[in-house]
Amino acid sequence: MKKIILKSFIIMSFVAFLSSCSDVLTAPTQSSMDESFIFSTPVLAEQAVMAIHQSIGETNSYRGRYIPYYGYNTDIEWYNTSEKTTDDKPSLTGYNPSVSSTNMNTADNVWAKMYEGIERANLCIRGLRTYGDVKNNTQLAQLLGEALTLRAVIYNDLIKAWGDVPARFEPITTTTIYVAKSDRDVIYKQLIADLAEAEDLVAWPNGSAVTKSTERVNKAFVKGLRARICLAAAGYSQRPDGVRQSTDPELTVAKLYPIVKQECLDVINSNTCKLGTFEQNFRNLCQDNVTAGFESLYEFPFSNQPERGRVVYTFGIRHTSTDKYTQLAKGGETGPLPNLFYDYDKEDVRRDVTCIPYVWTNGVQVLNKIQSWDFGKYRFEWMKRVVTSPNDDGVNWQVMRYADIYLMAAEAINELEDPTAAAPYLKVIRNRAFPTNPTKVDAYMETVSASKETFFNAIVDERALEFCGEMLRKADLIRWNLLSVKLNEAKTKLTAFANRNGSYSDLPDKLYFKTAADGESIVIYGLEHGDTDAAGVALNYPDPGKGWFISNGTNNLTVDKINSLFQTDPDTRQYWPIWQVFLDSSNGTLKNDYGY
Amino acid sequence: MPSKHTKFCNKVNFSTDKYQLLHIIEKQKPYFCCIKNHLQTNYLIHEKTMKETKQLKDQLLKRLVFSFLTALFAFSTLAAQVKTVSGVVKDANGETILGATVLVKGTAVGTVTGAVGDYKLSVPANGKILVVSYIGMKTIEVPITGTQINVTLEDNTKMLDEVVAIGYGTAKRKDITGSVSSVKSDALTAIPVSSVAEAISGKLAGVQVTTTEGSPDADIKIRVRGGGSITGDNKPLYIVDGFPVESIGDIPSNDIEDLTVLKDASSTAIYGSRGANGVIIITTKSGKEGKITVNYNAFVSWKKIEKTLSVLTAPDYAKWQYELAMLKYGVPDSYEQYYGTYSDIDLYNNVPTNDWQNEVFGRIGFTFNHNLSINGGNEKSKFAISYNHIDDKAIMQLSNFKRDNINFKFSNNPSKRITLDFSTRYSGTEINGGGANEQNEVSSSDSRLKNAMIYTPFPIRNLTGGSGTTDDTGVGNLYNPLVSISDNDRQQKRATFNMAGSAAWEVYPNLRLKSEVGYDNYQNSDYRFYGITTYYAQAKVPIPNQPAVVLSNDSRSTFRNTNTINYDFKKVLHNNHHLNMMLGEEYILLQSKEMTTSIDGFPTFFKSNEAFKLTTQGTPVSVDNFYNPDDKLLSFFGRGNYDYDSRYLLSVTLRADGSSKFSEENKWGYFPSAAVAWRISSEKFMESTSTWLDDLKLRVSYGTAGNNNIPSGQMTQSYQSSTSTWIDGFTSYWGPSKTMANPDLKWETTVTRNIGLDFTLLKGKLSGSLETYLNTTTDLLINFPVPGSGYDTQYRNMGETENRGFEATVNWVVIDKKNYGLNFSGNISFNKNRINSLGIMNDYGQASGWASSEVGVDYWIAKGGSVGQMYGYVSNGRYEVSDFTGYDATTKKWILKDGVVDCSPVIGTIRPGSMKLKDLSGDNIVTEDNKDRKIIGDANPVHTGGFTLNGRLYGFDLSANFDWSYGNNIYNANKIEYTSTSKYEYRNMISTMADGARWTNLNADGTINNDPVQLASMNATTTMWSPYTKKFVFSDWAVEDGSFLRLNTLSLGYTLPHKTLNALKIQNLRLYVTGYNVFCLTKYTGFDPEVSTRRQTTLTPGVDYSAYPKSRQITVGLNLSF
Repeated sequence: MKKIILKSFIIMSFVAFLSSCSDVLTAPTQSSMDESFIFSTPVLAEQAVMAIHQSIGETNSYRGRYIPYYGYNTDIEWYNTSEKTTDDKPSLTGYNPSVSSTNMNTADNVWAKMYEGIERANLCIRGLRTYGDVKNNTQLAQLLGEALTLRAVIYNDLIKAWGDVPARFEPITTTTIYVAKSDRDVIYKQLIADLAEAEDLVAWPNGSAVTKSTERVNKAFVKGLRARICLAAAGYSQRPDGVRQSTDPELTVAKLYPIVKQECLDVINSNTCKLGTFEQNFRNLCQDNVTAGFESLYEFPFSNQPERGRVVYTFGIRHTSTDKYTQLAKGGETGPLPNLFYDYDKEDVRRDVTCIPYVWTNGVQVLNKIQSWDFGKYRFEWMKRVVTSPNDDGVNWQVMRYADIYLMAAEAINELEDPTAAAPYLKVIRNRAFPTNPTKVDAYMETVSASKETFFNAIVDERALEFCGEMLRKADLIRWNLLSVKLNEAKTKLTAFANRNGSYSDLPDKLYFKTAADGESIVIYGLEHGDTDAAGVALNYPDPGKGWFISNGTNNLTVDKINSLFQTDPDTRQYWPIWQVFLDSSNGTLKNDYGY
Repeated sequence: MPSKHTKFCNKVNFSTDKYQLLHIIEKQKPYFCCIKNHLQTNYLIHEKTMKETKQLKDQLLKRLVFSFLTALFAFSTLAAQVKTVSGVVKDANGETILGATVLVKGTAVGTVTGAVGDYKLSVPANGKILVVSYIGMKTIEVPITGTQINVTLEDNTKMLDEVVAIGYGTAKRKDITGSVSSVKSDALTAIPVSSVAEAISGKLAGVQVTTTEGSPDADIKIRVRGGGSITGDNKPLYIVDGFPVESIGDIPSNDIEDLTVLKDASSTAIYGSRGANGVIIITTKSGKEGKITVNYNAFVSWKKIEKTLSVLTAPDYAKWQYELAMLKYGVPDSYEQYYGTYSDIDLYNNVPTNDWQNEVFGRIGFTFNHNLSINGGNEKSKFAISYNHIDDKAIMQLSNFKRDNINFKFSNNPSKRITLDFSTRYSGTEINGGGANEQNEVSSSDSRLKNAMIYTPFPIRNLTGGSGTTDDTGVGNLYNPLVSISDNDRQQKRATFNMAGSAAWEVYPNLRLKSEVGYDNYQNSDYRFYGITTYYAQAKVPIPNQPAVVLSNDSRSTFRNTNTINYDFKKVLHNNHHLNMMLGEEYILLQSKEMTTSIDGFPTFFKSNEAFKLTTQGTPVSVDNFYNPDDKLLSFFGRGNYDYDSRYLLSVTLRADGSSKFSEENKWGYFPSAAVAWRISSEKFMESTSTWLDDLKLRVSYGTAGNNNIPSGQMTQSYQSSTSTWIDGFTSYWGPSKTMANPDLKWETTVTRNIGLDFTLLKGKLSGSLETYLNTTTDLLINFPVPGSGYDTQYRNMGETENRGFEATVNWVVIDKKNYGLNFSGNISFNKNRINSLGIMNDYGQASGWASSEVGVDYWIAKGGSVGQMYGYVSNGRYEVSDFTGYDATTKKWILKDGVVDCSPVIGTIRPGSMKLKDLSGDNIVTEDNKDRKIIGDANPVHTGGFTLNGRLYGFDLSANFDWSYGNNIYNANKIEYTSTSKYEYRNMISTMADGARWTNLNADGTINNDPVQLASMNATTTMWSPYTKKFVFSDWAVEDGSFLRLNTLSLGYTLPHKTLNALKIQNLRLYVTGYNVFCLTKYTGFDPEVSTRRQTTLTPGVDYSAYPKSRQITVGLNLSF
């Protein structure tokens, strides 16, 4: 017995000794994989790039915060209950946000998610450059291009919302965890270079298996994004020392507009995309049609199953109750300014796609209020799915479409050359807006081509009409240094409209409406210039008519509502503040400029 | 005699005369007296030195045992002669003792003394010693000489001779140099409770036990001296029979022999890396030599909710809903939609209402618990086996709890110097029901208590779950309370299996080797059902609005090997010097994995039972079988205990731990400690006090202990595959963990300094100890938030905290007579936590998150402060009419007077009656940023403690256990939710906001009154503000004094007279009745002041939000042994 025990002791000690010599204290991670393997294997590397999309998608990221709140109020778009000025959302959109905004001041908010996406992109870029044979493997090349492009998308949006932000182009280490804000010029230059690299890595739309879908980055989008960023970099914006253009010699109009021109012409000349009708693009978007080669260049790929994203939820025509088109009674959080309807020519097909005066209630279109129109580009009723999620609709967010390429080309060429050279590109867009009246387009083109200035103004107008509801306007106004100008102009127009002065004086008192024979569509009389109350009454619609401008003796479009378009001078508040939680956790490296 | 004895004895040369030798032998091992004659006659004894004699004596004894046991056995079977012994057992006062156990050593023969302390016993021929024992007295052994043996038992001055576990060994309490508290089994079985933690609540100085809520499986937070870590888990290290375990919740208190808490580093340093938060050592019951005893304990109990809160009456509820609609929208549409017109509001005067609290928590709970243990053995082997079963139907609907435990221990001495031990433990727990909240919640909107409190009191036509919110997410809706609990159903099954074996060998006298091997396996299956009213099923799944389940299975297995060498320098040192050294090596390997399966899209009529079992009816969304990195720990340790004359004691410990959690350079941590003690009472100059002072000992210790309580795998940024439901066409992605790697991590170290004074007075009648300590924890391992960097958090070593405190324990035997007695014991602990440094930061905020993101940061962690500081606004009552210049009918606004603080950014629209907050920044406006908030509460108590009174009178015993906490604040989040609207409509409120108490704006005709004079007079008697706020606001109004004094248990028992029992062959039978949570004196207005529900981080203690209400309980039980 003793011997046995003695032996066991000896064996035990031996085992203990042995184990202490070998790798007894190493414990590698198990449910994980090595970087070198991931980034040399296309199927895994692709999932690493998807991690960037994940950061874009998550609850309080683009999905629930950036897309629904960034980009308005402008001279054409506003938050539909912006008059509740002390509430959080009207403050965010009304140029008076609080650093502790209840919607934004959380650790998982879009600021954090954007930097998470950037970190993931940085890891992909480093990994693919180190381990991926991008020279010979087109799949890996495409992925590197995508990572570079997505990083640029995020940085561009960061700058749009916050101005100068920290620049991180390498994965974080313990020593770089806290960095101060960089001058946006530094970031712009890097992005312009990155996208030049990415262009050569990714395929044209339909040029490879992955670029058959607009949910993946293709060469047309990379070029378009590069053009967009060049325009922004060359334009005006609020800096810590005031609103101005960049002083960096690399970021002048003279240096950057040629790039814009070249990139846009490359896309146009590639013939890889084509404009359909205006409405078709949005129908495709709502119908989850992501076939590349049409107008859509790139969309954030929000999942349809489960439904993710809040595009129709936020920007769509509102359904006040569930019906056969949607089990999600949402939409109409934001909409066009009511007077915008009258900025469109009556024949412009974009008008009735964009400006919607009704909402759906119990499956029937009913008249909305004059002060809260809805965008019509996003419609539950156009979808093929019936949305069942209570929070999300699953419709993608269109980041760029082909029309933008034409208008950027026109803008750059007008600046670099002259209106005549630029006109054909504007005309393409104009023709599409007036498919049945080319003469009207010709006449218009002739008027606006009178000078560089008139042509530029036409671009400013055209972009409003074309992109209303797509949240491009605010950045455009900023780069043109027209933010305050145009918003003040909008206030004047709204006031005139509310009081039916000037060009609005011929509008009737009331709107007359009925439900059409299909049992759900609304037929409205009284919206157009030249309509009269007398003619309205004569229609003998079942309802005696709705006091559109005035009810119970007061203006529906109140002074408060109009004033809530902006609560402070927009040019002193072009940006959101960095939220308190991020200031608190920055170890003192971050601060808010721009008067916060 | 066999020739080998002759041979052996021929070689022996003895120094002293044979009689002296025999005398020694006799003294040491009295049972060898029977061989005296044999020796006298057969062996020659020669002269030698005393030293040699000792050596030889041991050798001789060893041989003799082997041979003579065999011989005696043969002899006794040949001549099985039986004699009868009788006598009387008395105590020191000469009073006879009833019920003392008298046992013939080494046999199963025994009896119990009768009414006059008498006994009579037939002793087999091999019976040489009587063992006499009685509870509370010293057990003594008497040689059987003659037929009349009277025995006098002495009181057990147990404080001194008590053996306590000290980690890899035991020590007598009198030799302890560190700070150690312990509880013994008798205290644990007298008042049975379902968990150990409940049993020790209030009984140990320096150990704070908080039962976080009232559910049967409630998390019980145990903190030893406050805990040093900030974000880390401050739970102590639990050691059960030498084995480190995650939780002691599954150990029945009946199975515990001894529970010891090591508090200072000189005691915990032997556990090195893991001892920084204190060590709780549990020793389960082992077999005892002697007659086989069977113990059976059983109890049944009934329980009822402790407290309910009253809510608005039906007409008052309807009236408020109307006023709210009018305030919010100016028109009553949202009211009329559901409640009809205002003119018909009197319909609600007699409408039948549902008492939802009663529906959900009102049932009478019932618990049945029984425990059977069998225990016995002889000199060679001992065993103990026990079975415990508890079945608990809780007060909440759908909630119950079951646990079965089997414990088996066996030990064997194949030879005098070898001991083999083997034990297995099995514990199976089943918990049904989702409770009122959960820590791993998807959204705080799924917390259930609010439904039982403020769901509409009467059924309303058309009102569905989705009604009543103007927010975008649908969060915060209320649902039928019963539907909501069944939609949040949960089923947890845990099984723990533990097996350990050890072999100890005394190779040479006083040199002991011990090797232990153990294996522990833990399986936990946690099935969570999400019905269609849950946020998860509505918003987080691919197929929304259909039931979903998440099935997770965790498994964890731990392997442990420990080898120790112990040497007692008895032989080497002179009489008064004692030195004992222990060296050891230990290896612990922990492997774990989690398997999580999510299945969505079940048919909408499915409830938990169907969904758990018919998983093919749903659509699997993700299956994640995640293997954690192994957690390995290799340690070398040593301890030396030296004393001179038991007067000067010194103990030195060193442990080196290598952990796989750290990088190569930082792997090893070294944790030394030293302690000295001085028994002042043994000094010559103290002789004069010896009449009243039994013992006085001063202890001083200093030492370090470590902490590596972070998840494995923080060294490198590894890529993990995660499932995704966000991206078209992809169901998973590869991304780095959201926790940023930190290769520079190293051990967190706690230095403790402890001074203690132990005293025993008046022949043990009064004893106690006083201790003071200062613990400093440096290089804190903090899971530090780094939002905006690209990662969420990063583990870092940063900062320093300290805990300083004072503890006192006293035990006083007030009266101790044969038939009656009274004992008092009590303890008090003061602890002050302070954050000395946060490294690079000065402070940061933490949100408890009970209201999703509405409240924001509500705890503040700052240098100079302590963990648990609540952060919010300062209440300033309400706006009065006099704060306004008047009402502007065109803008429909009340205009504030100049100089009156504007709270609208926080409260929303301001009008007379609105909640008012103090402006702290002096800018005349209260904003949502940090300028107008400050520290408004502290969850840390000034002192906590408990006291126990034990009385006995003849067969009756009475015991009362009190515990208290003083000076802590509670963050009554429930109260905020139940008294303000936030963005919601249609919610009921508690009667704090009843009509007459709350500000009213409503005229009798259903219009809102905006006339300053009328409004002021309407509210002349109201005291509360108007509940209408745009969001929940945390102000000092919701911070309440959480001090309490609770009579935790009150127990009355009766032990049947032994005379009666003897006839039934029963040793002992006690019947008792116990009340639990008998009363609780507190100013707290919520359910119960002992609460902490937001425990996802340790930074937000003391929040009372959606806690499972506590109950009051009455138990009837019996303790039986035969």
